[in-house]
Order: sequence, then structure tokens, then C-alpha cells
Amino acid sequence: MKPPFYQRYLIIVIACAVFGLATVIQMVRINYTSYAQELIAKSEEYQGVSKTIYPPRGNIYDRKGNILAANQIGYEVGIDLKYVTDPDSIAFAAASLLDGLDYTYIFGLASTEKQADENRYFVLSSYVSKDKIEELIELKNSYVERRKEQKSLKPSLSGLVWVPMQQRTYPEDTLAANVVGFYDYFSRENAQGAYGVEGAYNRLLTGKPIKVFLPNDPNLVEALPTIDPGASLILSIDREIQKMLEQTLQDAIDWSGAEGGTIIVADPKTGEILGMASTPFFNPNEYWKYGETFTGIIPYNRAIGTAYEPGSVFKVITMAAALDSGVADLNTTYNDTSGVYWVENSWPIYNWNYGAWGLQDMTGCMRHSLNVCLVYIAIDLLGEELFYDYLQAFGFGRSTGIDLANEANYPLRLPDSNQWMVMDLAANSFGQGIAVTPIQMVTAVSAIANDGLMMTPHVVRAVIDKGQQYNVSPQVINSPISAQTARDLTEMLSVSLEEESSTALVDGYRVAGKTGTGQIPTELGYTSSLTNASFVGWGPTDDPQFVVYVWIEKPTISQWGSEVASPIFKDVVEQLVVLMRIPPDHVRNQQANE
Amino acid sequence: MKNRLLQAYKQAPWRIQIQWIGLFLLGLVLVASITGLYLSISAQAAAAGRSIQSLEYQISDINNEIAELTSDLAKTKSIEVMLSKAEAMGFKPLNPHDAIFLEVPGYNPRASLELAPPRVNTISETPMILSAYKTSLWQWLIKNIWQSPSSDHLVEGELLP
Repeated sequence: MKPPFYQRYLIIVIACAVFGLATVIQMVRINYTSYAQELIAKSEEYQGVSKTIYPPRGNIYDRKGNILAANQIGYEVGIDLKYVTDPDSIAFAAASLLDGLDYTYIFGLASTEKQADENRYFVLSSYVSKDKIEELIELKNSYVERRKEQKSLKPSLSGLVWVPMQQRTYPEDTLAANVVGFYDYFSRENAQGAYGVEGAYNRLLTGKPIKVFLPNDPNLVEALPTIDPGASLILSIDREIQKMLEQTLQDAIDWSGAEGGTIIVADPKTGEILGMASTPFFNPNEYWKYGETFTGIIPYNRAIGTAYEPGSVFKVITMAAALDSGVADLNTTYNDTSGVYWVENSWPIYNWNYGAWGLQDMTGCMRHSLNVCLVYIAIDLLGEELFYDYLQAFGFGRSTGIDLANEANYPLRLPDSNQWMVMDLAANSFGQGIAVTPIQMVTAVSAIANDGLMMTPHVVRAVIDKGQQYNVSPQVINSPISAQTARDLTEMLSVSLEEESSTALVDGYRVAGKTGTGQIPTELGYTSSLTNASFVGWGPTDDPQFVVYVWIEKPTISQWGSEVASPIFKDVVEQLVVLMRIPPDHVRNQQANE
Repeated sequence: MKNRLLQAYKQAPWRIQIQWIGLFLLGLVLVASITGLYLSISAQAAAAGRSIQSLEYQISDINNEIAELTSDLAKTKSIEVMLSKAEAMGFKPLNPHDAIFLEVPGYNPRASLELAPPRVNTISETPMILSAYKTSLWQWLIKNIWQSPSSDHLVEGELLP
């Protein structure tokens, strides 16, 4: 006998079973429909957000710990439509406080029709300063007070939001900008370091970004993994020396009417660059104005980015090759009877003043900067093979490997090239027909100032990564000449400066050096009256602690390196010895004898 | 044949009822306790989670503030500012001819700048987290009940919090 209400119970059970089965079928079906992925994605949105965390970019310091590049906070200001109640007040506040925005535009954005299932956000401005944000906060608070007083919903800045973000800052403005480079932080996730150490060490400075999932469920929240900031760099640049060089260079350009110039100071014993000034000066805090400053072919850093014909400063290299190979010594003489050297009886080479200087020893050749004497050494004594072997040993024709982005290099035209002529050898011997960068000259000459050892030029002294400091060890590139040759040449160039009473001489300090006046080629040959005036020198000669290279491009006050570049060298060294705390020679000798 | 009389016992119906009710209530209390415990732990975990989130925001804010202060300090100490301050205080650039050089024993003007400890070649293998924080309840029971408990609870080289 069936219990009472049996049929009713049965109907209810069947209905429940059908409902349950339908639910299960629908659940399975949903997983296999085209909406499945959409629904899964939507469910993930509710679970939390995936976020890439970018570590703060590493700082850049000078050799004494002064900050050259750091990070500061800028704010992104935007409109979150979800919370907007008063578009008029938002438009008024943003237009009056943020640059480059007008009321109508902002009002249009803030009045956009809200979609119920959509979070709409408009960026109004990026990297807004903290001061502006403080003004916005003040305004927002005043609106809150007014609403309380008026007991109304307006005025309100609800929906106007700002989020902090790190931006690059260069506290010294233009100082050492050509060495530091810049970081285009406006590109946000795609930002890259450009030029200088920002470019060369971009990956190291950036660090490793990590992707994390931030769950909405508080039970799933975990501490974020520790993110190491990007590595910081300590440069070999000395802020005081850099400032002095930039000031001296600017004064020199104003005085000489030159187009541009560069001055480099390096430590010949380590290859460290102590200062590197280059025109035009540029403020990396406004890096977007790059195109306005560096028009045409002007490089970001002339010291490493421009190859030019150096002129007579290159005679130092020719003489070094001659002395080191033994084809000439200090007593070797050259009789300049006519003031001209005929290359293969076809092409004449003249001295700078077209005069004949008579019998000269090697010191005389350098002292009077005799082109014919150096051509004689290159063609008749050294020969092309030996000459170019030495040039390559000194690093010409290839990059120095300095740790700055965008180093230029001009290949050497060698005798095995079809285009090479003996005339090239003649011209190269006194620095014409060959293009070198200032940093190549500094690197090569450093070998003479450092007992024949040529060091890799570098600007990074140490790297700080994960809380540890890694000091960069000086590296020897090559030893193109012997220590004895280096000392003999230093003595020769010191005597030659003293004998000509050069304007490069510095009271109290014995220095060695050489002037250079490089002609500038045009499409028609060396027809321009404009020149490249340069000077390379080092000192103190008994214990060289600095190499200074001065290049002034197209001076109009005089075309001669001895009249333009030499006094600048003197000016630099006089200030440099104070900044480097190098006592005068007599004080050092006195201390050494005690 | 002798009849044997046996006393038969039977729980009174009200006692059985009480027992069932008691059992049911016991189960209910047990479930309520477990639920309460679960809720309490969940609430604590959620509070801890929110606290972690809040601390993360604080860390982020502090890092931003440190970056801001560092750049402010750098601007305040920039060479232009320092030079103008020095000039205002009556200082002027030193002429090399006016310089007086003194020998100061032990002074090394070329000492390299150290902003961080130098690189250490050996990597320390000292565990940073106490084993107690990494041991499961089961492992702890095995170690302390079934095995003879060690007199030294700390692993050698382990750091105390």
C-alpha cells in the first residue's frame, strides 16, 4: 500500500532531479560554449589584478657620491568616471592647475556617459609635480568644507584621481649631461636609457621587473616578493672638475668664436675619465627638447661621437712610433732646407708657415711642429708597415671600448686598401687624412703618460647591485711603446713646450704636450680657412696624474692651436691641480727628499 | 520445571529522548565550535591579508618619499647651489699660487668611495628562517613524541629572531 501523498512526493522528487540534472548539464554546457573564455576572464577580473612591478631605476653618482641622476615622484592625473558627480568642478580645477589642458576638453571627458558594466578611466596628464597635486588636495578639501556648509553634493572633485609614479631627475641639470645621458620616462613601460651611461648601462640600471597577481580575496593576499632596485653606478667623473671644464669650455667658445668644442681630463694610470665637457650643453630634465639642441649631425657627446682630422697633435703618435721602433732617437736630425717635402716627386708637403727651418733634432721637429720632418720620419724612416702597425697598436681604427653609448669610430685606410696612397702616409704622419675621436686621442696619449701602458677609458668606477659594491678594475688594452720611449717622449714634449715658451706652460708644474691645428676638408679639398684647434698635454711629467685634451672646433679668433687651445689647456690645468690637490713640483720634490 | 524470573531493563522513553537530544546538541555544539573556529581563523587571515596590503601600500609610499627626499637633497646640494652659497658666505675659488700644502699622515685623498659594502665572494648558507616555522605539525609530532626529543632545538648556525 502506497503511503499517502505518494504521488505528490514523487512529482517533487522528479522535479528536483530534473532541475538538478538541468543545472549540471547547463554547467557543463557553459564550459564548452564560446562564452566560456569570456566568463573565465570575467571571473578572473573579480579574483584580482595582475600587475608588473618595475623596480626603481638605479641612481648615478659622481666619484665623491654626489647624485647625478635619481628618481623623484611625479603623478598621473586622470578621471575615473565611476565616481564623477560634478564634471564642471573637475574641469575647472584641472584646467586651472594642469598645463596644456582646457576646460571644454576636460568637461567633455568628465561628462562621458557612464556604462554600468565598464570602468572608464581617462588620463589627463602624466608626471604632474607634487606641488600641483598639493594644490589639488587643498582644493578638494575646500570643496568638502563647502559641501558641508551648503549641505549639497556640489562642488566635488570626486572622480578626479592621481597616482604616484617614479620619474627620472637630474639634480645637476646640464652638468655632465653628455656623460650621463637621459632616460625617456614618458615612454612608461617602454622607457629606455639613451646616450651616455644611461644608454650603455640601461639594463643594469633598470633592474628586473616582476609580474605579480594581487588577489581581491584577503585570505589569498601574500607579501609581495622583494624587488631589488636597479643597480646604481658610481662614475669616475668628479663633479667639481666637470663643472670647471664646462665653465672653461663655455668661456673658451665665447672667447674664440668657435662652433663647439670638447675638453677631456683622464687619469692615465687607470683610464678613468675625471671630466668630459662637450658642447652643446643639454638639460636631460627636458630630454624631449633633444631635437632642438642637437640639430643636424651634432652628436650628443663630441668627445666620443665625432671623428675629425686632429692635425699636429697626432705628431706625438708618429714620434712615439719612430722612437720606439728605434728608427730615430732624440739626437736624430733632419735638415729642412726648403720647407717642402715632395711625396713621390708629385705632391708637395709644406710646413705650417711654408718656411724652411734648417737642421733640427727630433725635439726641434716637435717644438716647431714641422710637417716635412714628420713626413720624412713616416716615409723614409718608418715605412708604411711599421707606421700603421703602431697606429693600430695605439688603437686607431677601432673603438676604445669606453662604457658610453654611441661611440663613433672611423676606420683606418691601410696600405692593403685599394684606395690607399703614399700621400695618405704622408698626411697621416701629421694628423691629416685620418679621422679620430677625442677619446681615441686621449686613450693613445695616455700610454705615453703611463710608461707605455694604454688603459681602457671608462667612466663607471663601481656598480652597486643587491646591496654590494663591485669596483671596476682598470684594464690594460695594450702596451704600444716601451716605458723608456714614453719617458723620452714626455721629456721631449716638455722641453719643446718650455723652449717655445708655450702659452700652455703652467707655473709650478712641469707639463708635456703638443698643439694641433687640423685643416678641415671640404668637397673641394682643404680649402676652408677654418680649422680644428687642439692641444693634448699631461703632467706633472715626473708622475703624470692627468691627461688633458682640448679640441675647439672652427675658432674664428685665430686658426692656430697654439693661440686658441694652448691657453685653454693652461687654464684647465691651473684649476685642475687645485681640485685634484696636486702640490707644485717643488713641494712634491721637497716631500720626496724628506 | 522451575520458572526462572529475569529482571528486564528498559530505558525510560524520556531518557532515550534526552540522550538523542543530548547527542544532537553535542553535534551541534561541535559543528558550531568548528564553524566558529573556522570563522575566527578566516577573519584573522583576512585581517592579516588586509594588513599586508596596507603595509605594502605603506612601503610603496615610504619608498616614494625616500626617492623624493633623495632627489630634493641632491638638488639642495647641487654644485650650482653650493657654489652660490659659498660665494654668499664670502668664499672664492682657490688660486693654485695661494694654496698651502701640508703633509697629513694617514690622509688618503684618493680613497675610493664606498656607498655599499664590498662584494663578498662566499655565500652564507646560514638559514634565515627558524626550522619551527617550516615544520609541519606531523613532522613536529614525529620529532618530539615518537623520537627522543633533541636537547638542542636549534640547528647549528640558525639565527635567533
